[in-house]
Amino acid sequence: MEYLLILIPSLLEGTALTLKFFFITLVISLPLGMIGAVARISKFRPLNIFMQFYIWVFRGTPLLLQVLFVYFGLWLQFGITLDQMTAALLAFILNYAAYLAEVFRSGIQSIDRGQFEAADVLGLSRFQTMKTIIMPQMFKRVLPPVSNEVINLIKDTALIYAIGITELLRAAKIAAVRDFVFTPFLVAAVFYLIMTAVIQLFFKWLEAKNDYYH
Amino acid sequence: MKGVSLQINKGEIIAIIGQSGSGKSTFLRCLNSLETVDRGSIEIDGQFLVKTGPDGKAVYANTVDAAQMRRKIGMVFQNFNLFPHKSVLENLILAPILVQKTDPAEAEKRARILLEKVGLELKVDNYPFELSGGQQQRVAIARALAMNPDILCFDEPTSALDPVLTGEVLKVMKDLALERMTMVVVTHEIGFAREVAHRVLYMEDGYIVEEGPAEAVLLNPRQESTKAFLSTVLMAR
Repeated sequence: MEYLLILIPSLLEGTALTLKFFFITLVISLPLGMIGAVARISKFRPLNIFMQFYIWVFRGTPLLLQVLFVYFGLWLQFGITLDQMTAALLAFILNYAAYLAEVFRSGIQSIDRGQFEAADVLGLSRFQTMKTIIMPQMFKRVLPPVSNEVINLIKDTALIYAIGITELLRAAKIAAVRDFVFTPFLVAAVFYLIMTAVIQLFFKWLEAKNDYYH
Repeated sequence: MKGVSLQINKGEIIAIIGQSGSGKSTFLRCLNSLETVDRGSIEIDGQFLVKTGPDGKAVYANTVDAAQMRRKIGMVFQNFNLFPHKSVLENLILAPILVQKTDPAEAEKRARILLEKVGLELKVDNYPFELSGGQQQRVAIARALAMNPDILCFDEPTSALDPVLTGEVLKVMKDLALERMTMVVVTHEIGFAREVAHRVLYMEDGYIVEEGPAEAVLLNPRQESTKAFLSTVLMAR
């Protein structure tokens, strides 16, 4: 018990960093993913092909490798130096934008063609159709896959440990090695579980809030 | 579709019949620019939406003019295509506010009048999923009317409905006919066509095989294929 009281403050510090990293990644990659989805289904071929390539690269290689590339690779190959946090954020945002773009794309394409046609016949512009007809329906439909991605994200933040950022998992590891006990990892596990539970509850609430129509 | 030519007069009601795949829906969708035509022309109120270019290919009017002309044509779909996340009232006022820039209060007033006309004034705040198919289609008709179209197109408006619900939708369409609304109706309802339409077109393989006053085409068809089609449809009842 006494040990926990010493341990927890340092783990909370790691958690704060984990959460900060999580929120920044999410806030930027969500709109980027939305733009990416629209680009991915664009009829303008070069844009469409570029997005397919982008998604292929970022979904097709390990996230950890991407983090290492942005931090070490850019420096060793091109002499570009980024601080750890910027490098990790850049890799995460680009990676999650790719995944979210695919989720949003499938959401948009799952909307019945008749919705586009009805809006078209009523004279709505493409932008108005997207904004008022398609996106709101898409948003409801992608809630389950997006909640999956968000839960993945909170756990994936542990990967930035690899470039020496003291987030929750690294904070636990430091304590474990120092005190030669496994307890810090168990406490970290509980912290992750609490965070994922909150995310789940949030999405449950969002789904309930959008349940006013079928 | 090949060589389909049709002139629709103001206040006229035209029924298009024919088997699935005969091109009747495609014809309607061309009028609405939901499909683009390769050749031929479409003229609305003396203005060309589509012209035949020098090379024989179809040329569309510029976007601004085309949008303006398209607003004169309303469309009712087989599957209603109401916006499920919007209430009945919102479905009706959305386009008038966004497209015609109608004052929201004015749009709502008009929407309520239209809903009363289709007998759904009590459903203003309901969502589409709470309505029966027939009610949804009546909302869809009201939504199309909210844009004040000169012509209203119906693409098999009752095909997704059972006979009772079909009846309530047809009643609304008959009311519109009494108001001399110009209508083009793709339908399998031969009875409706006979009772309401001024002219009937029978289509097959993308051609208009037979065309004429409703009574003539439906009761005394001249073409063998029209006879064959009508006897199958009427036998099925």
